[in-house]
Amino acid sequence: MKRYSQIFFLVFILAFLSSCSKFEDFQVNPNNPTVADPSLLLPAIERSAFSAISADAALASRYLVYTQSASNAQYYGWQRSGMGYGSITQVVKMEQEAARTGKLNYRYIGKFFRAYFIINMTQTFGDIPYSKMMQSAEFSNFSDSSAIRPPYDKQQDIYHGVLDDLKIASDSLDAGQIAIGGDIIFGGNIERWKKLVNSFTLRVLMSLSKKEADASLNIRQRFNDIVSNPSKYPLMSANNDNGQLPYYNITGNQYPYFNNNSMKTDYYLDSTFVDILQEFQDPRLFVFGKPAPASPLPATDFDAYDGLGGSAPLAYNTAKRGAGMASQIADRYSYEAINEPSVLMSYAELQFILAEAAVRGWITGDADVFYKNGIKASMRFSNFNNTYSEDDMDDYISQPGITLQPGNEIEQIITQKYISMFMNSGWQPFYEQRRTGFPEFETSGSGILNGGIIPKRWMYPTDEYNNNRVNVENAVKSQYPGGDNINGTMWILQ
Amino acid sequence: MKSTALIALLLLAQMIAFAQDITVSGTVRSAADNSLLSGVSVVVTGTNRGTTTNTEGRYSVTVARDAVLVFSYLGYATQEVAVNGRESVDILLQQGNNAELGEVVVTTALGIRKQQKTLGYAVQEVSGETMAKTKVPTPLSALTGKVAGLNVRNSTDLFRNPGISLRGRVPLIVIDGIPDPDADPYKINADDIESISVLKGTAAAALYGALGVNGAIMYTTKKGKKGRLNVEFNSSTMFQTGYTVVPEVQTIYGNGDQGRYAYVNGSGGGTEGGGWIWGPKLDQPDASTPSGFFETTQYNSPVDPLTGERTPLPWISRGKNNIKNFFRTGVLSTNSISASIGTDKGSFRVAANHVYQKGVVPNTGVNNSSFSIGGNYLLAPKLSMDAKLTYNREYSDNYPTIGYGPPNYLYNLILWIGPDIDIRDLENYWLPGREGLQQRNYNLSWYNNPHFIANELLNGYKRNNSFGQVTFDYRLNDDLSVKFRNGFNQYASNADVREPNSYIAYDYISRGNYSASLANYFDINTDLIVNYKHEFSDRFKINLTAGGANAYRKYESVFTTTDGLTIPGFYAVSNSINPPRSSNVRQERRTASAYGMVDIEALGFLYLSLTGRYDKTSTLPVKNNGYFYPSAGLSAVLSDVLKLPEAISFLKARGSWAKVNTGFISSGDPYAHLTTYGIGSKWNNVPSLVWPTTFISPDLVPATVQSGEYGVAVGLLKNRINLDVSYFINKDYNNFVNVTQSQASGNTSVLKNANVYLRKGWEFVVSGWPVRGSDFKWETTFNFSNVHRWLKEATDNPDGYIGQIKEGQRTDRIFISESRAPDGQAIYNSNGMQAYTPYGQYFGYSDPDWIYGWQNSFSYKNFSLNISVDGRLGGLIYSTTNQKMWWGGTAPGTVTSYRDDANAGNSTYVGPGVVITSGNIEYDSYGNIISDTRKFAPNTTAVNYISFMQTTSGAMLNNYFYYSGSYLKMRELVLTYNLPGKWMKKVFNSASVSLIGNNLFILSKMPNVDPDAESDNLQTPSMRSIGVNINLRF
Repeated sequence: MKRYSQIFFLVFILAFLSSCSKFEDFQVNPNNPTVADPSLLLPAIERSAFSAISADAALASRYLVYTQSASNAQYYGWQRSGMGYGSITQVVKMEQEAARTGKLNYRYIGKFFRAYFIINMTQTFGDIPYSKMMQSAEFSNFSDSSAIRPPYDKQQDIYHGVLDDLKIASDSLDAGQIAIGGDIIFGGNIERWKKLVNSFTLRVLMSLSKKEADASLNIRQRFNDIVSNPSKYPLMSANNDNGQLPYYNITGNQYPYFNNNSMKTDYYLDSTFVDILQEFQDPRLFVFGKPAPASPLPATDFDAYDGLGGSAPLAYNTAKRGAGMASQIADRYSYEAINEPSVLMSYAELQFILAEAAVRGWITGDADVFYKNGIKASMRFSNFNNTYSEDDMDDYISQPGITLQPGNEIEQIITQKYISMFMNSGWQPFYEQRRTGFPEFETSGSGILNGGIIPKRWMYPTDEYNNNRVNVENAVKSQYPGGDNINGTMWILQ
Repeated sequence: MKSTALIALLLLAQMIAFAQDITVSGTVRSAADNSLLSGVSVVVTGTNRGTTTNTEGRYSVTVARDAVLVFSYLGYATQEVAVNGRESVDILLQQGNNAELGEVVVTTALGIRKQQKTLGYAVQEVSGETMAKTKVPTPLSALTGKVAGLNVRNSTDLFRNPGISLRGRVPLIVIDGIPDPDADPYKINADDIESISVLKGTAAAALYGALGVNGAIMYTTKKGKKGRLNVEFNSSTMFQTGYTVVPEVQTIYGNGDQGRYAYVNGSGGGTEGGGWIWGPKLDQPDASTPSGFFETTQYNSPVDPLTGERTPLPWISRGKNNIKNFFRTGVLSTNSISASIGTDKGSFRVAANHVYQKGVVPNTGVNNSSFSIGGNYLLAPKLSMDAKLTYNREYSDNYPTIGYGPPNYLYNLILWIGPDIDIRDLENYWLPGREGLQQRNYNLSWYNNPHFIANELLNGYKRNNSFGQVTFDYRLNDDLSVKFRNGFNQYASNADVREPNSYIAYDYISRGNYSASLANYFDINTDLIVNYKHEFSDRFKINLTAGGANAYRKYESVFTTTDGLTIPGFYAVSNSINPPRSSNVRQERRTASAYGMVDIEALGFLYLSLTGRYDKTSTLPVKNNGYFYPSAGLSAVLSDVLKLPEAISFLKARGSWAKVNTGFISSGDPYAHLTTYGIGSKWNNVPSLVWPTTFISPDLVPATVQSGEYGVAVGLLKNRINLDVSYFINKDYNNFVNVTQSQASGNTSVLKNANVYLRKGWEFVVSGWPVRGSDFKWETTFNFSNVHRWLKEATDNPDGYIGQIKEGQRTDRIFISESRAPDGQAIYNSNGMQAYTPYGQYFGYSDPDWIYGWQNSFSYKNFSLNISVDGRLGGLIYSTTNQKMWWGGTAPGTVTSYRDDANAGNSTYVGPGVVITSGNIEYDSYGNIISDTRKFAPNTTAVNYISFMQTTSGAMLNNYFYYSGSYLKMRELVLTYNLPGKWMKKVFNSASVSLIGNNLFILSKMPNVDPDAESDNLQTPSMRSIGVNINLRF
């Protein structure tokens, strides 16, 4: 009996000592990879860069009015915005995987994305970290103060750097190199990438129009270098060159406001936008909005449409809506899974940029031709379900009032560019208005905040104050005498 | 089926003979007044066999002829009596100064039983008896208010876990000595619990290592006892008959906005008013209409077949009782039967339990069944074994979705329905002719029909739990023993969701979906423990324990969902329109440990306990994955050595110190120390990866809790009044923290060891016998406690901040960004709406100042009455329900003349508060005000009342929806009648009937919601339960 117990016990001890797996076996996460082809990083970067549909931008740009509550975007009461360096981190990782696998084209596409994300941020805030950014991600540097708390660069230096990067990207992208995969925008077509990079470069140069005299930037020369050398620097030549993200009827791949409750009930056209479209009977009104419910007129009658006041108090707008006298945004924005693509930059926008450059004398060429190309391209892009015909478009464009009028060219071009960017191209229409003053954004209503002033920027985010305080405070001091507020004028606007 | 098996087992047990034993019985009386004493403990020395006297003071126990019985009873001197072959032993107990407090034995870490007086740390034990009568869904909820330092946050929602925190952190759950890291509170049945021991501190649970760093709640389940067959049947049925707290909504105004409403197509746009409940006043006479009331088109308007136009219907308040008309009476029914028997060689117990909950929401319910078998046997003279296996199955075909949002029926019932709608009319929830495709509702873009949600959006959950342990104990000699224990927890779960066509979520309208997630979990804990004890003399005893442990766990799960359903209402993955989406998770974790404990008893009153443990875990970088940590505890029973005033019958001082390291960075992810790509979503079926922006430091070391705990236990007036006080101070350092850095660096944060926090708190337990007569007795226990956490050191922020919390400040500070003047008045913008600050400003604390519980037990002859109340004092709770009611227009407070003015198109409401007339306010980077030259004048801007509420929710009128969490709740009331022995005619050993009330009423300052859960994100109304318990012992 006793012996049995002892044997029994010996078995326990052996069982205990012969334990299962080694500790080293658990040092690999079986659920997630640690190395990858750069093609697997590209889609998320593209989604982030090409997702350019923002209802807030539409409210701030007087396209739309919000009726659920008083919107800070619409009434100009906003405060801070966030930074987007996380997207550049993905670009860094893609560049590293590209270097590891010897696939160089990803590197140059990466340069474009860096430029794109940086421009977005500097347009939002002014000075931002640039020359010392990404030290932690790129070199695993977590010890140097300048790596974990990068200093801010002057906006003019940032533009220098971005323009140089864009040039390198365009010069170096090579269809002869290993093809790129995972490209949900151009399907790996390097030529179309080059067109986008060059066209985007022109957008950046045009955004510097107030700095025409800056010799070191030399924007005229840079602009001309591209436009005058189409074989080396091809530009977008039609709508199918648009830098755009198409939507699919797959959960998560649908139009961002598809089935969005708020988009179904709370977004109405701004009356100033309705006025612009009604002035020359722009048929795009029929694809942007719905007739006011109380109007007995057919949907194809321009007078069936009416808007709400972007600066009017909420109660005025909700009462007008309740009376059935306001045009909602068209159903397609909330009831169509695919609706229209999200455009980072369109062929139409390029044509408007060229028209403005011609008016400004940066390039030679007929501004009116560029301008009308742009209108036509925009009308074709927006022609949901073929609501209007080619003839309708031509009728619209051929009106004498549409043709460029001497002395008014810039206003006309920017206004057409504005129409073309309805619910698209991110905050670009707001920035164009900020740069040129066109079209005039209405601020006279009593609902307006910020003293009736259209803000020029956003305050730096709280996380920078928490994590990079000294640098952000210095940046504010050197740029904005009034402190970090939404009315400061950044360098490109001076 | 199960009863047949039970009888077979019982018969088997009966065959074990009791050759040497006799049955001793007798009565126990108080020597003072000769009254019968019930509940006296009768234990056979040297065994764990025993019984207690019944209500008539009688006991009966089967023992060996030479056994010695020990009679003990609180407030009386313990008495030992040798049986010497007698079959009747009557006892008179002397009231006396016996240090019962010193004799209390409690379960400590690893299931080791120790005398409470020897412990240097706080342990509070709750008897399973307290849970026998009152029934709540989980045993954890039954602990509410009963343990000082334990905060139980009970949810009013069906089939949700109560939140628990012990000294501010979530403790480990242990069942029969085996850690249960998964901690499913539903898997253990209250009727199987003998006792619950709460090890409050880090020192107490140090032997559990990293798992026990936050203390432990240890369940000891019932076991068979030596003695004759004992069968127990316990049954309770509770009905949720009324509301303890139910939201009250206004019944004056209906759906719509700005006083207008006309139904068109359910889209919510235009004249439908955007889904608001700010519509026209109801029941307004209008002589021009057929009904004599104001009429407008509504969702149930008849459609004129000729014109296609909807016919206006009278706008009247049909839905005044929508909330009560929707709910039904909930039921909680629990039934259990158990049988146990034992001999000298061993014993066993079998039990079967079933808990059924019928939810108050139609078509919801939960079933929970358990079967367990356990026993012990002396296999050889020196070798004994103990084993237990429990199988548990939880299953629900549908339980409600919670939280603010369209899948929650409350969202559609309390917040976003006007009293113009009668909820009973929505019972037909399919649109005629479009059954299975389109729900019928008064709004088709924002809200779901609550009946549609209850009957068609189905959350199914099935889970099979098994858990148990096998222990072998080998006693080499009187001093030396070796124990080998294997315990495991296992579950397989299947959760699925059926989403019907036309179901409305925030950002999509469903074209039907079915998702299923299957999970498998297994953990095993193996311990080998050697124990050596030796008494060198009466004044010096030593007990050494050394052990090794291995813990391994594995979790695997697969999630699959459709993307649309091709055939509506056919819920199968293969019915997906687009390719189904799937993902899976596999996780393994292992910890190996060695530990030791030395207990020294010296000079008859000093008890010193030292522990040490070494862990090696797979969840840290290999170079730092082994670590050691110690603890020490000292207890001095001063009343055993000092001459104290007569009033002080017991006095103990205790102190303990512990340092516990934990290498578990994340309880849910054993790979949290490894950097990998994240799997991104697919775009048109193109896969993607995302690199994390958190960098993981390769130099991670374990996180540490260093704990100091001090306490005093005092017994006064012959221990009629007892007081136990603890104070603890825990320093949490080397915490695993995502230390943020500028995102411009490319990394938003670094996972590293950082920051130091202090947790400090007090715990008081006062108990006593205010009345202890022969017939009438009153026992009472009151406990209260608090815990707060302070930021001691922000190690990686040069300015000493984490977010807006500065070193030295409590971490539960609440910040709000609504702008307020220094005197607290709201500041308005030029448009008459609330202004906001660029930095949140301090508003209050969220932790309760105190939590408390008070248990009372009265007995008079055969009756007993138990009353338990508990609550919290202080601490702010944010109420989403109240905010949304004010925002949406259903709050009764919105019924004002301003609202009528707004409906008439007039802007008459002036928000109470001020506007800035001049000056400036400047903040530093952490939101502290560095200069404030603002001058204020009263706000005079009149605005539209409805726009005001839609924009501000009237937050400034409601303390920004932060309500005091103070409350007092009548938790339990049990009135029991113990049937007199003469009625039982020897059929039963004992029988009792109880009337039970749960959650009977609450006193609180928070409107519309029950603060019990300490949070509110749209909760089920708090229900009152009333029922009956029957307990029979054969």
